[in-house]
Amino acid sequence: MASLANFTLTMERAISMQSEMPSEKDVRNILHNVIDPEVGINIVDLGLVYGVEISGNKLHIDLTMTTPACPMGDMILDDARQALAGLLPANAEIDINLVWEPPWSPDKMSEQAREHFGWS
Amino acid sequence: MAVRSGDLGVPFRLPLLILGFASLVSGVLAGLARLGWAVPLPSAQLALLHGPLMVCGFLGTVIGLERAVALGYRWAYAGPLFTGLGGVALLLGFPSSAGASAMVLGSAVLFTGTTLIMLRQRELFMVTMVLGAASWLAGNLLWLTGTGVSGVVALWMNFLVLTIAGERLELSRFLPPSPAAKQIFAGILAVLMAGGILSGTGAGIVMYGIGLLGLAVWLLRQDIARRTVKEQGLTRFIAVCLLSGYVWLAIGSVMLLAAGGLAGVAYDAVLHAILIGFVFSMVFGHAPIIFPAVVRVRMPYHWTFYLPLLVLHASLLMRLAGDGLMLPELRSLGGLLNAAALVLFILNTVSSVIRGSRAGKN
Repeated sequence: MASLANFTLTMERAISMQSEMPSEKDVRNILHNVIDPEVGINIVDLGLVYGVEISGNKLHIDLTMTTPACPMGDMILDDARQALAGLLPANAEIDINLVWEPPWSPDKMSEQAREHFGWS
Repeated sequence: MAVRSGDLGVPFRLPLLILGFASLVSGVLAGLARLGWAVPLPSAQLALLHGPLMVCGFLGTVIGLERAVALGYRWAYAGPLFTGLGGVALLLGFPSSAGASAMVLGSAVLFTGTTLIMLRQRELFMVTMVLGAASWLAGNLLWLTGTGVSGVVALWMNFLVLTIAGERLELSRFLPPSPAAKQIFAGILAVLMAGGILSGTGAGIVMYGIGLLGLAVWLLRQDIARRTVKEQGLTRFIAVCLLSGYVWLAIGSVMLLAAGGLAGVAYDAVLHAILIGFVFSMVFGHAPIIFPAVVRVRMPYHWTFYLPLLVLHASLLMRLAGDGLMLPELRSLGGLLNAAALVLFILNTVSSVIRGSRAGKN
């Protein structure tokens, strides 16, 4: 099953019409499609995307979870990789990491997310 | 699909889940035998082991596996390995001290792992989960050293109730903070711990019931499920499972307080209102998230997810009516349909995973 997923990912990127690396804004836009199903809100608005760096053909993303007690970390990483697959040129290298510093706090949520949850 | 370095992948996780599943199947059969149904049992004394198989063998293994996946350390997987094997030892008819010892070891691993996370994230919600794990370990030690299952049920329930409550408190951080709500939660936690430890006494069990009712009301008022129930699809389904579970927790605690303890029919009614109505509603709601996270498959939402939940609640109403009206046949029928709800849940999970893998290939 793992090799099928890798094959699919490789094919998607080979067929991808992209020849240039996306911008940081493009990456963040795509990551809006990665949703935390428990709350129904995407990881960017929840403040879980700590860093997006593009240098040459390398894309580096740092993600966090609201708590290390949550087992969903690797799955969210996979969802992020899948979401980005069509956006990247075939020779791009993606490096997505789960980081825990600084610890997540509610002030990292976006305005939309805070409004959604009733913060004034 | 990569796992973090040092972590164990699906080939190791899936057998642990299967061990837990063996405890679930034999635990349910033992429960049906207790209700008078003529079911085949792997060993004669299994009817006495329904509680340990369900709480320690099944739920303990699943929760232990979740925590190991979250931690990403190999040693953490020893927890669900111990409890999974302990369940198998019980169902095969080995002396129960063998299975009980395995449960002590497995819960000690969970307690250690949860404490490590708490030391990194010193928040009330982590303390709650540590106390839940400690309650399980304490209950297992007491059971190993000769206390009957009925003497440790409050501690085992605290394991499940506090693990769930801790996770819900963590998620409530998405909402504007309410220092009052947090203080009330801490108070409820103290009452639950004291009541759980003193549940052998008349005052203790009443205190325990008050704690459970307090928690149910807190969750109904504070949990993000009040908002997420207005969303669509899977998010709404999870919220419906949560909210209906909280209602069952309230009903169970009110029954406990009305009965003044767990004597007679109250034992079956209160325990199952909480363990089926509350805990299994949580299981149904979180399976579509946790199962994919642990075994790395897709489990797409479908409206039919509601069907096992409906059967679960309807059958529980029937079972409790049988308890309340002193109609043992009604209780037994309700229990049989509880088992049917679990079968439906498993079939639903399998069919969703198949649908997910077909969609992935297209």
